[in-house]
Amino acid sequence: MHVDWAALGIVAAVSVVASIVFIVLLAYGVRFVSAAKVLSNQGGRAGGPLTVGYAFIGCAGLLVLYCLYLIVPQFH
Amino acid sequence: MTLLFVVVAVIVVALIFDFTNGFHDSANAMAGPIATGALKPRTAVLLAAVLNLVGAFLSTEVAKTISNGFFDESLISPAIVLAGLVGAILWNLVTWLLGLPSSSSHALFGGLIGAVVVGAGFSSLNMSVVLSKVLLPAVVAPVVAGLAAALATRLAYRITRKTPSMHSETGFKYGQAFTASLVALAHGTSDGQKTMGVITLVLIAANLQQPGTGPHLWVVLAAGLAIGLGTYSGGWRIMRTMGKGIVEIETPQGSAAGAAATATILASSHLGFGLSTTHVSTGAILGSGVGRKGAEVRWSVARRMLYAWLLTLPGAGLVGGLAALLSDHGTPGVVALLVFLCISCAVIFAISRKHTVTAANVTDSKEVLVLASAVPDSYTDDPRFTDKPADRAETKGVA
Repeated sequence: MHVDWAALGIVAAVSVVASIVFIVLLAYGVRFVSAAKVLSNQGGRAGGPLTVGYAFIGCAGLLVLYCLYLIVPQFH
Repeated sequence: MTLLFVVVAVIVVALIFDFTNGFHDSANAMAGPIATGALKPRTAVLLAAVLNLVGAFLSTEVAKTISNGFFDESLISPAIVLAGLVGAILWNLVTWLLGLPSSSSHALFGGLIGAVVVGAGFSSLNMSVVLSKVLLPAVVAPVVAGLAAALATRLAYRITRKTPSMHSETGFKYGQAFTASLVALAHGTSDGQKTMGVITLVLIAANLQQPGTGPHLWVVLAAGLAIGLGTYSGGWRIMRTMGKGIVEIETPQGSAAGAAATATILASSHLGFGLSTTHVSTGAILGSGVGRKGAEVRWSVARRMLYAWLLTLPGAGLVGGLAALLSDHGTPGVVALLVFLCISCAVIFAISRKHTVTAANVTDSKEVLVLASAVPDSYTDDPRFTDKPADRAETKGVA
């Protein structure tokens, strides 16, 4: 009876790491965008935090695209 | 000629199964965002349907697992595959009627295994592949998805703990809609392939395709379309259970659960594991409930789902086995089986019409009981259909 434990282990590790990285990027994005909103409501300049926030969200999107790229056989 | 008739029948029935798979499982992706209002019900199912179709084209690893390796192809006849499919469809429809998010994949595997064992004997079943590519991942994957979702949820709340909740709620709404779409994509990839695998299996069994080759393009396209259409028709009954039954979902949780489910499904599909998207999504939703402080997970509902899961493989296997007894009798047997399938579907559909759950009322009820989503409102005061008195009091006004 052959069970491919290594493959199962890879699935587990990749799933946990990918979910966490994605959600951390998204959460920081939300945090900075929100900070920018608060700043601009107070009449301050919000360009910096807004850019950082969208950069985080963009990275989360790129992560997803990269993961999809990895699994689609046509790209390899 | 007879063989061709059976092959065509199998392909049609396989696509019907794919359709039931779509509406059975559209809840996995879209129950969360519909429950939190991140997406409108109609938009959600349309989006999920399109992404299902796209997802079907992403990979064929799981299809290959099913068509090469599960069974000894020289012993399998198209009639046996047909019997397996009938078992899977009937199981899917009955659990849908009851609003149970059981696994379409396990219904399929169970039905096929039952039919193969009855029709061709135990020796034609490759137990080692079944164990390592289906049974073991079935246990491991939901736990992994739950763990990932719990950790991700915890982090999401920690990072945004000083963010005004109005802002984080809105921000994560987009996040949730996005990750739910990814789940739909992953669903198309993972479950669409199962139908492709079955059709390919039958083409190989009928000597219309070389053993060891992957699915044809038209098979991929047909399977993707069938599952997409099924998803678009929406499994509103099951959505109610998934969206509100297990745990009250907030948008950061939903984002985390979606991300975890997608990662687990895609990683597994890529390695050819025939995973249940239902199990993984439920695991992720439960995990996200554990990860948020103060979230109340309704373990009684979760436990009931677990029983449904445990029953699915043997239950569908039994139906598949009985169907194989019938389909064994040449063309008359196959015709009889098809007639039986049509009548059963019609009966189940007629019963479901008596108390419909649609896009319009899917989020109305906060009913905690799985079964209660399929009972008329007047029954919800009946102690047989309610969980415990406290829950009844809480939900009375809403239901």
